[in-house]
Amino acid sequence: MEPGAHTATMEAGWGGGVSPFGATWQKTMMWIFIITDALLFSGLLCGYAFLRQANPAPWPDRSHVFSIPFIALMTFILITSSATMGSAVTAARLGDMKKALLNVSMTIVGGAAFLSCQAYEWTHLIREGARLTGPIAGSELIEKGVTSQFTQAFFLLTGFHGSHVLSGLVILLITAIRTSMGKTPSQGVEMAGLYWHFVDLVWVFIFTLFYLL
Amino acid sequence: MSETAPGANPYKIYWITWAILLVITVAMLAAEMFHLPRLFLVLFLLAFMMVKAAMIGGNFMHLRFERRNLALMVSLGILVTSLILYTFITPESWHVKATSAPASEPAPAAHVE
Repeated sequence: MEPGAHTATMEAGWGGGVSPFGATWQKTMMWIFIITDALLFSGLLCGYAFLRQANPAPWPDRSHVFSIPFIALMTFILITSSATMGSAVTAARLGDMKKALLNVSMTIVGGAAFLSCQAYEWTHLIREGARLTGPIAGSELIEKGVTSQFTQAFFLLTGFHGSHVLSGLVILLITAIRTSMGKTPSQGVEMAGLYWHFVDLVWVFIFTLFYLL
Repeated sequence: MSETAPGANPYKIYWITWAILLVITVAMLAAEMFHLPRLFLVLFLLAFMMVKAAMIGGNFMHLRFERRNLALMVSLGILVTSLILYTFITPESWHVKATSAPASEPAPAAHVE
């Protein structure tokens, strides 16, 4: 490659300029936000790894504490809502705002169903005696090997993720209302979609590292 | 950059990705039932977790179609930072475990309400 051509290639890819990533400023800022938020979850997951590795007692068998098929159902709901969100983004990009609105609405239903499942799971575990500070003395959870490290990791990881799902739902509701009024540009749907897929992405890690491993 | 070939169904990619994610999730759940050696099971689950993450990032979030510097900044940036963080805290967790009470003693977890 000629030195001049190499410089031009480097300039196009890495040299900055008006649009260093070939994306609009909204999309660039959304990606920067996603990176920072991903690092927050990375810190939480590493904290969980620390608690688990430093725990002197064996880590409880998750299938004794949770209903894994129920958690799998939650995963199915979230993956499906991501597919409908992807369809909404494409429909908006193609100018079919009616189809975009329908798919955003289906995503909202999926997100609400996921949150309901999570609320049920939390309620069930709290009724069994789980608290952020550990299981209550004499509760059945202690017999299952549940420790304070376990409940802390559970409530923090799923709580932070759940709060992201909740804020994603608010963003989607605003997007749906504005789309129905004809006020959301296709890029607005795309930004909401990026955030929603990120929430799904985080769940992939929590599901594997906390519930399965 | 165009994400689909002219004339192709632009929604197809999402539902194909959805189906693959579903199959992988079922495979991960099924793997627990086969009583595989622990190390093999862990590697299997971690590998499929990364495949799922790559599919969501690439197809749902369109990173496959973005400029390479953006895709690399996002994927490698998060992955490398996380690995560095994990690598640095792991020896400390081993140290804490080695100096903690043995597993046979009751864990100081329970509290009275």
